[in-house]
Amino acid sequence: MSLIRTESLNKNFTRGDETIRAIRVLTLSVEPGEFISITGASGSGKSTLLYILGLLDTPTSGRYFLNNEPVEGLSDTELAGLRNRFMGFVFQSFHLLPRASALRNVMMPLVYGAGHGGVLSEAEQRERAISALEVVGLKDRMNHRPNELSGGQRQRVAIARAVVNNPKLIFADEPTGNLDSKSGRDILGLFERLNAQGVTILMVTHDPSIAERARRQLILRDGALVEDRRGI
Amino acid sequence: MGFREIVRLGLESLLAQKLRTALTILGMVIGVGAIVLLVSLGQGAKNYVTSEFEGLGTNLIVVQPGKSDKKTHMGPPVGAAQRKMTTADVMAIEKRALNVEAVSGLVLGTVTVRFEDAISNITVFGTNEQFPFILSVPIGRGQYFTREEDEYGRRVVVLGRNVVNELFGDADPIGQTVKLNESEFRIIGVLQPMGNKLGLDFDELGFIPTEAALKLFNDDKLFGIRAKASSRVGVDDAVAEISEILKERRDGEEDFTVLTQVSMMESMNTILNMLTYVLAAIAAISMLVGGIGIMNIMWVTVVERTQEIGIRRAVGARRVDILKQLLAEAVALSVLGGAVGVGGAVIITVGLYLAFPSFDMRAPLWIIAPAFLVAFVVGVVFGVVPAWRASRIEILDALRYE
Repeated sequence: MSLIRTESLNKNFTRGDETIRAIRVLTLSVEPGEFISITGASGSGKSTLLYILGLLDTPTSGRYFLNNEPVEGLSDTELAGLRNRFMGFVFQSFHLLPRASALRNVMMPLVYGAGHGGVLSEAEQRERAISALEVVGLKDRMNHRPNELSGGQRQRVAIARAVVNNPKLIFADEPTGNLDSKSGRDILGLFERLNAQGVTILMVTHDPSIAERARRQLILRDGALVEDRRGI
Repeated sequence: MGFREIVRLGLESLLAQKLRTALTILGMVIGVGAIVLLVSLGQGAKNYVTSEFEGLGTNLIVVQPGKSDKKTHMGPPVGAAQRKMTTADVMAIEKRALNVEAVSGLVLGTVTVRFEDAISNITVFGTNEQFPFILSVPIGRGQYFTREEDEYGRRVVVLGRNVVNELFGDADPIGQTVKLNESEFRIIGVLQPMGNKLGLDFDELGFIPTEAALKLFNDDKLFGIRAKASSRVGVDDAVAEISEILKERRDGEEDFTVLTQVSMMESMNTILNMLTYVLAAIAAISMLVGGIGIMNIMWVTVVERTQEIGIRRAVGARRVDILKQLLAEAVALSVLGGAVGVGGAVIITVGLYLAFPSFDMRAPLWIIAPAFLVAFVVGVVFGVVPAWRASRIEILDALRYE
């Protein structure tokens, strides 16, 4: 039973008179527990694919089944619910709220969880967020704002936010792109630990040395899947 | 997202930019403040008129010759009567109306009053001895004239405080003789200082017996009749009795108008209420300006926080959550402005009351709830469009927005 399955996914953009085919007839399936890297030159459509799979964008045509359920036709609320409870995101530029503390940033998915059937009290939300921060080793900095944290620490806060709702899936878009190599290795180590606990991870990167750490590597060129390499 | 969370987020973002928040709510502060101030002013005017009316006495009944439309309650035009109103009418009322405690005719005129070289022009009321029981005109020294003095039209006069001061200075005026026009009158009483009541300066008046006044002005008809009902509940009965008696004496024709203090006060209040509403409506226009200010700043907020909106949506915020959050901010702005406006207006009105205690324009309590309600509605009305736009932004566009 696939966690993710796509059939002939296409995504077109129009820029002026020109139609750009960002994703071309892409068929893919992802099993639970996989750790997948997506690489390709810039403009190859790797981020677009990640956003479509992460329900932040919609395909122009083709079908997408998440957990064997078709995604097309879901309402805004249902999509928001899936993003909230089923998946987490880690972005290259962290995307933390600058005015909120690390703790409040991590609590945010739980706060919106109330709109999707969540029943946690504020105290419970706080507790959950603190233990997520503990997992990424930042419990002692939970009251700091993002601008008081280093890049690596910010990304770890973002990861804590991604996992706080115990998602099945984590989508990471160049998570180490803005970090020095030491911090990058730490982040990758975190992903590997999460994956070992059963979380499925899809990570876009342009760094071959990072891509190689994944057990499965997808390589895109001009929007098409040109290589699907499985490791040992 | 719960209500508390929404309020917390709204306040948090307003506190993050205190100066901007302060400038944004200024329009609301002025708008709500102006409404409360003007309503208080109208209310103050009403209180003032009411207390003036009541200061003149209670259960007052006014009879004027001439018939006027019942709805106006402000009396008929002077000189509209077909028949004269005379002292005989007053006697008939006094004899037959059971619910009338005191009744007097009223003759009005202006005279020149002289004592030696001092001259003053004053208004003179010609009344009978019952007049002080109808209108509160407290005697300071001496006494009001007696029934006998009235009946015989004795030339005696009771003067207001200022008239006496002008003519006699500090000297005792009681028993002195003054000239009203060319007739000599003996001063038998001086009023206590009363000041202005409903536009009439009682300190500048003189009172003489009705018959003396008719002789002085060479007239045979009354300006009107004033009466006092024996009790508050008896006012309507007294009015009915007076009407009946006067009608009978006019072969059934009702060419006179009977007004009560209550009805005059009511019509006065109607006018003042109208004035208050008009003032409040004008002030409401400034709320519009305040609302537009809020809408402006909400547009700026939405643009500035595009990326934040994207982030929130990515972690599971529904469109409606974004809508609620931004609407809450707009409402927080307008209600905050309303609170400051109400608070400021209350302080100003209390300050004015302390400075001028005779004019009580303290903000009435009932204005507070509607003022906040209006502020709330303005926040919703002017916040909903920017908030709705924010909720429609595509997540990816928002995330990429720099």
